[in-house]
Amino acid sequence: MSPFLLEGGSVSQMPVAEGKSVQQTVELLTRKLEMLGAEKQGTFCVDCETYHTAASTLGSQGQAGKLMYVMHNSEYPLSCFALFENGPCLIADTNFDVLMVKLKGFFQSAKASKIETRGTRYQYCDFLVKVGTVTMGPSARGISVEVEYGPCVVASDCWSLLLEFLQNFLGSHTPGAPTVFGNRHDAVYGPADTMVQYMELFNKIRKQQQVPVAGIR
Amino acid sequence: MEAPPVTMMPVTGGTINMMEYLLQGSVLDHSLESLIHRLRGLCDNMEPETFLDHEMVFLLKGQQASPFVLRGRRSMDRTGAPWHLRYLGQPEMGDKNRHALVRNCVDIATSENLTDFLMEMGFRMDHEFVAKGHLFRKGIMKIMVYKIFRILVPGNTDSIEALSLSYLVELSVVAPAGQDMVSDDMRNFAEQLKPLVHLEKIDPKRLM
Repeated sequence: MSPFLLEGGSVSQMPVAEGKSVQQTVELLTRKLEMLGAEKQGTFCVDCETYHTAASTLGSQGQAGKLMYVMHNSEYPLSCFALFENGPCLIADTNFDVLMVKLKGFFQSAKASKIETRGTRYQYCDFLVKVGTVTMGPSARGISVEVEYGPCVVASDCWSLLLEFLQNFLGSHTPGAPTVFGNRHDAVYGPADTMVQYMELFNKIRKQQQVPVAGIR
Repeated sequence: MEAPPVTMMPVTGGTINMMEYLLQGSVLDHSLESLIHRLRGLCDNMEPETFLDHEMVFLLKGQQASPFVLRGRRSMDRTGAPWHLRYLGQPEMGDKNRHALVRNCVDIATSENLTDFLMEMGFRMDHEFVAKGHLFRKGIMKIMVYKIFRILVPGNTDSIEALSLSYLVELSVVAPAGQDMVSDDMRNFAEQLKPLVHLEKIDPKRLM
């Protein structure tokens, strides 16, 4: 992948297969990918921490407490992404984490809401597929699937190709177009777009019922 | 008001605390050339570097007595350079014999939407200015000789006016906490710039 190209990508959630655990469903998916001919290429991790404005700041700003997400993506190890839902996404270097420590009095982290997804990276021709187990603390809460199409920079140009590829191994679970593509069909896709999708996915998973204990290995 | 002095805790939360050591002085416009000439001789051999930056200072007010200050700086003459976000802590009150002003600093490179993002966090811009000048280096020391310009119409960096008939001279080092010998090296370098410019430790609080 040329360092200048930013990928058209899609992040979606894979529902856990009927009667199977999170781990088994992940194995089903990765086996399908390997049968297609995809090559394993290391691991990946995307994590997200939630901060909310401290009560002491609220009064003077006169606004409802906002949630700020601080995320990291192993694909961009020297960066840190900070975003607000429906708001701007700041890309910064990892010193941003140090700044958040200094801002302790103004922004508090809800420790229990730290969420992350970890799994294997697969390369299949121009596609990079990442299947991860989403966890909150010790419990597995779902599965994330990310597909990047390397050569394309404009989302709308490659959405149908991505869709076709996804159908190959997700079958009926293929998602619809990410909302991130919505208003900006011809805009250049960037890492911030990927992080917004992960943030939305994590939020969706947080709100869902926990996977029944019997189904988790 | 804040945590114990950072120099007592070189490592916090797994990251090393960096400190900025600073000496400041000024020269009148007509002495600029002699100073630049002396600096070219003393500093590391490199292409003369000039800069034109726009800095905005943001405040976040909370129930704490003093607001949280962040500085956002962007280059006006280098397209594509990242924006620079900086946090500077209170000057450490320590050894009166310490030759430079020492404060905790956190430097972060960010994308261009920094202003929008800080506003979303609740920060409000307090003031802004344009800095134009020269940059020199000697080892880990950075020497800046620059003029500050007032921005006449908020947000419009095309109409600016010089704040004074002089240039601000700053000698600074960013180093991990606990390396106090840095200020000795700075003092020795500052000696070599006398009598063209007198660099000293200026406590910002005494100016207010």
